[in-house]
Amino acid sequence: MLLHNFCYALRVLFRDRMLIFWTYAFPIILGTFFSLAFSNIENSERLAVIDIAVVENEEFTASTLWKEAMAGLSKEDTEEQLFSTRYTTEGEAKELLAAKEITGYFKLSDGEAQVVVASSGMEETVLQYAVTEIAQTEKMIGQVAEYQISQGVMPTEESLKKLSEEVLGQVQQEEGIRDASNGRLSYTMVEFYTLIAMTCLYGGMLGMTVVNQNLANMSHKGKRVVVGPTKKRLVILGSTLAGYVAQLLGIALLFAYTVFVLQVDYGNRLPLIVLITLVGCLAGLAMGIAAAVLIKASENTKIGVMLSVTMLGCFLSGMMGITMKYIIDKHLPLVNRLNPANMITDGLYALYYYDTLERYWFDVISLLVFAGLLLAAAMFGLRRQKYDSI
Amino acid sequence: MTVFKAFLRVLWQCKAIVLLYTVILVCFAAFQMQTEQSSIGFLADRPDILLVNQDTAEEEGKDCGLSAGLVSYLMEYCEVADITGEDAINDALFYRDISYIVTIPRHYSEEFFAYLRGETDKKPAVEVRSTGDQEASYAEMLLSRYLRVARVYGAYAENGKELANRVAETLSGQVSVEVASHLDTGGLSKAAFFYNFLNYSLLAGCIYVICLVLASFREEKIRKRTMVSSMNYRTFNRILLLSNGLFAVGLWMIYVLLSLVLVGEVLLSDQGVWYLANSFAFLLCALTMAFLFGTLVKNKNAVNGIVNVVALGSSFLCGAFVPVQMLPKSVLWIAHILPSYWYIQTNEYLKRMENVSPEALRPVLGNMGILLGFALLFIIAANGVSKRTRQIG
Repeated sequence: MLLHNFCYALRVLFRDRMLIFWTYAFPIILGTFFSLAFSNIENSERLAVIDIAVVENEEFTASTLWKEAMAGLSKEDTEEQLFSTRYTTEGEAKELLAAKEITGYFKLSDGEAQVVVASSGMEETVLQYAVTEIAQTEKMIGQVAEYQISQGVMPTEESLKKLSEEVLGQVQQEEGIRDASNGRLSYTMVEFYTLIAMTCLYGGMLGMTVVNQNLANMSHKGKRVVVGPTKKRLVILGSTLAGYVAQLLGIALLFAYTVFVLQVDYGNRLPLIVLITLVGCLAGLAMGIAAAVLIKASENTKIGVMLSVTMLGCFLSGMMGITMKYIIDKHLPLVNRLNPANMITDGLYALYYYDTLERYWFDVISLLVFAGLLLAAAMFGLRRQKYDSI
Repeated sequence: MTVFKAFLRVLWQCKAIVLLYTVILVCFAAFQMQTEQSSIGFLADRPDILLVNQDTAEEEGKDCGLSAGLVSYLMEYCEVADITGEDAINDALFYRDISYIVTIPRHYSEEFFAYLRGETDKKPAVEVRSTGDQEASYAEMLLSRYLRVARVYGAYAENGKELANRVAETLSGQVSVEVASHLDTGGLSKAAFFYNFLNYSLLAGCIYVICLVLASFREEKIRKRTMVSSMNYRTFNRILLLSNGLFAVGLWMIYVLLSLVLVGEVLLSDQGVWYLANSFAFLLCALTMAFLFGTLVKNKNAVNGIVNVVALGSSFLCGAFVPVQMLPKSVLWIAHILPSYWYIQTNEYLKRMENVSPEALRPVLGNMGILLGFALLFIIAANGVSKRTRQIG
């Protein structure tokens, strides 16, 4: 009986085209949009070579330090290249700036360095920084020469040139900075984790649909099931299992698509990734069953509740803006600890970013507790149901 | 009037969803705009960093002057966050609340001198963790600059404090920066953000409502009743079209009012009013597009799916959610076939338009013309489709 009902429940599910669209196709479509829109974000946030102009007036041509420093910062295909520099007249520089072809230009006038930009921004700040650096180096070389003379050492032109190159970072040397960055810092991955969370919870609609088929107050089919001589627990179990299996199929499709087509990085702990997904789907299923049993309303209202809870959960866990998850985690941690979408997202994030597993297990256990509570509530709701004859 | 009343009744059923799109727009706009400062002068960017200084004067007679100097230098040019706890710090770095973490180890100042004087071969190192973005690169420039200067002056200083003072003296002051443009870039960026996001709200709102209204009027029973009524079908269609148009214009006016509240008076400037004009041209496009989908869709349940795929797809691919500069070139190339692309490109252009002259407005008018062209195309397509589906079997 269990198997019989399981097979029929599966057939019912796969014939519902709208349901299949929302649980199978929509996450894949949304994942494709995410991938198209976010694939370049992290690259575009890196500091690119900045287009600038230098006003090549007499004062500039006469200053070896400025000329060489600018040339050093603009040397193509080197690690130190900061600028792509055009040497122009002031008029040309103004025109280039107005046409937005350069970030800004720099000129030397009356011994003072001046930077002209179109607006504020990081590239403009870097231009200001670099010009300030050269100006300060000029000042510093004079001071060092003074110190050397006071110590009885006569500075040579060559030693001062070497010094300026060293100060401007144009000589390869050990910086005294040790980089301990974690290689896994791709924050756009969180978007895909929220997508997995959404699919797990949307999958609850599958469970809800099949359970509705067995409720006398929801469908004619339900009335027939209720008056039938079969054990209700077997019928419900068969239906929910069918919902769970259909859900797992959907999530497996999404995983395959995100890993092989969209190249999403879930880290390398596959069994743990599978575990949290299974538990996440269980939480979704529990939500679906609880919505079906505990909400006494039409099917559309139940779907509405499921969709709203899922979307609100996904919003709070960063689907519509990754920062949202961070803000809620930081300022309202309790909200996200009770949010099933965040438990799934956070578990996958913990697997990707953290070496330790405490956070991951906390999320898995939270999901199990969440699913357990809802299933228990649904079971109590389903037990000993009686329908009056009216 | 009967048609209009029926239209209003269906419209009333959609109130929740229209309200939802509006709330989403307001929330995102308000959230995003907090970070945009309205400015005309030059404001240097200050990277968000975290400083962990373990080289503090807890032991008597310990020289930690250089570390203290480095801390005050970084604090002058960076926003230093106050975050404690390893997990909180890790999360802050991952979510770009901070871009760079500098950890100055214990005895750094003393070891720095010991290395310079050749007393040890071990070069002391400041530990950093970086997100690799622009802010992090700038913070790293500041840090390495300080260390390079300190290394040069190290030979001429007795202790950390003296060295820090010399370095601070050299590194004080910035080159002056003149801003050539007199545009309120902060205000105009806010306007561009709001109107770019409006792409989603307008598309989703129009498609959802109009598809649902048309689907309701196209239900077979209702259509049969309308056809046998004394009302000419042209009059009926005209009233329906006008009602939908009225709804769309009403929706647009609400959004414009919201933008005036959220963005402010920059929208009333010479550049600002073009945002309104551009959004109106896009509204016509959204309206006709919704008409086309309305004539194609028979099933009310499919409306939600269409809204999500079309509105979200256009918004993601054309730069309504993610800034256009951050989208891959290939995506933008494909996006040319969508009206949203031309709408958003105009908003981006307006953000940087220095003056309002016929020459400067040429790209704006060109893009608006393309939007109207799209609208015309959608009307022709909708007419073609509705002609074929007019008969009831």
